[in-house]
Amino acid sequence: MAKLGIASLRLTRVSIPLTLVHAGSMYVIQKAERTVVELTLENGVTGLGDTWGTPEVYAMAGAFGKAWIGKDALDRFALRSATLGRSNYDNKYGRNGRAAYAGLDLAAWDAVARSLKLSLAELIGARQRESIDVVSTLPAAILPKAVSRDELTKHLDDLSNTPKVVDFAQAQARKFGFRSFKLKSAAYSPEWDWKLLNELREAMPSARIRFDPNANYGPATATALCKRLDPLGLEFFEDPTGELEGLARLKSAVKTPVATNMWVVKDEQLAPAIRRQAVDVVLGDLFMWGGIDALRRMAKAAHAFGLKPALHSVYETGIATVANLHLASALPEVEYPNDASLHFMSADVLKEVQEVKNGAMTLPAGYGLGVTLDRAQLEKLTTGCTAIGD
Amino acid sequence: MAAPVSVAHTHVHSLRLASGAEALAARVLLADGTAGFGFTLNMDAGVARDMAAWDALGRSRAVPLHSLLGGSHRKRIGIENDENPCIPPDWTALRKGILDNKYDLLRIDPFAWGSLEQVVTIAAAGAAFDLGIALLAPNAHAWEIQYCAALAATLRGEDSKVILKTKAKENEIKISNLPGIGIDWSLEPAFGKIQWQS
Repeated sequence: MAKLGIASLRLTRVSIPLTLVHAGSMYVIQKAERTVVELTLENGVTGLGDTWGTPEVYAMAGAFGKAWIGKDALDRFALRSATLGRSNYDNKYGRNGRAAYAGLDLAAWDAVARSLKLSLAELIGARQRESIDVVSTLPAAILPKAVSRDELTKHLDDLSNTPKVVDFAQAQARKFGFRSFKLKSAAYSPEWDWKLLNELREAMPSARIRFDPNANYGPATATALCKRLDPLGLEFFEDPTGELEGLARLKSAVKTPVATNMWVVKDEQLAPAIRRQAVDVVLGDLFMWGGIDALRRMAKAAHAFGLKPALHSVYETGIATVANLHLASALPEVEYPNDASLHFMSADVLKEVQEVKNGAMTLPAGYGLGVTLDRAQLEKLTTGCTAIGD
Repeated sequence: MAAPVSVAHTHVHSLRLASGAEALAARVLLADGTAGFGFTLNMDAGVARDMAAWDALGRSRAVPLHSLLGGSHRKRIGIENDENPCIPPDWTALRKGILDNKYDLLRIDPFAWGSLEQVVTIAAAGAAFDLGIALLAPNAHAWEIQYCAALAATLRGEDSKVILKTKAKENEIKISNLPGIGIDWSLEPAFGKIQWQS
């Protein structure tokens, strides 16, 4: 097998309604937009990928994909260098470029794994676990519909609304067996967050709870809030504030572990984070890191220096959700439960239903990702399609 | 990160090299009947078995080692010679050395570190700290150089190289695209005479 040439690519932009109104500090949304990638090799094998569905990333993936036709999927390192450059300085496409590349990269890894008759986890390194614990997102507030930031803050001013989030969390625990939760914060009201987290802890004393304001609290506010929250024994503070310096100061003031998925997203950000002792946990996101090899490298390097790598995600299709299960299975360095939000998607693009049972998801059997595209369902969700090389 | 293979049988054999030195050769037989081979001149059977399992996986899928690991960053790798010591296989010391800016280059004897997994992890640390990797072939044996070249394919960075303590015959080696780890076993006649147990 000298080469696994890439014959064609199909990118499908989809819009999938959520079954909840997601409220956080960055946005309030009711739908997820994704780009589904089908990469077909000259041997007829098709691999699946999934990435952000913004117009910019969808267009970039299409532009990158044109240059992939005829290239060898066995050499993903060469594909990355050719697409994003040899260094991050060479990457003129920024974060969107890494995400666009990651969608294509995932499809290439899947196609290669299927061709070599290996599961994706085995191609990444090993298949060491079949069941992966997952985390349920909790919105900052329970809202009947998507609202403006002003309307959200009015809702948050009324602290009597916090029990609605607790009820929502308990419903997720009853329905799916979740034992781990991530509370998104609107980063508007420390009093809301403090009251709500105390209520969550009281209602679910043994649950693992992570708190994520997406770095939208200033360092002083975040540090004061996290010091008050310290006795609750949360799993970790995820991006309680911004930049490595702010995280480092906060970390030195609390006992609860500090995590980031925003400030360590490239190889060269890992060393300063280690030297500055800025975080305990690096939540690696496949799309922010720009593909499987970069994420695998992060997990191994972070672990070697005493940090805990974990896997971040937000409102992805079953394709990326299953990819994260394979990553968790393949990387023994990953001990925390995976982020997962597929249970909040009103539909998926896969034939096989990926269920959360007893707070965990199971790796599909079979080669590659071990899943198949539901084309009829994909067409129902489609908002745009690009074929390359057909 | 042992090679993801279903192993049916493993056998490690001692052999006398043409130079008179002793080596260990390992054969891993997969459930599908594919055989892979590994070796060591430092008498640690573990590293030979680990190598043989990866060789078997590559042979069974008809791809070189670098295709199993994600690709190749280069077609050739430079060979240099110097007398500088390699970093002992001790993660505590390695971490400290990196954080203390002790190294310009991570000089690693892959045979001493014991497995491909260790080399992959050191390479990841090197990428984080912008340190190239030098792979030392401790006895400058042709098999060692070829295995270092197979590993070097996957190493990022312009500084990566293979280092020998003695003067090299060539100043670079081509990265093999043969299935498995790309070792030319015929270089040692004793290897062909091994009676592998079934």
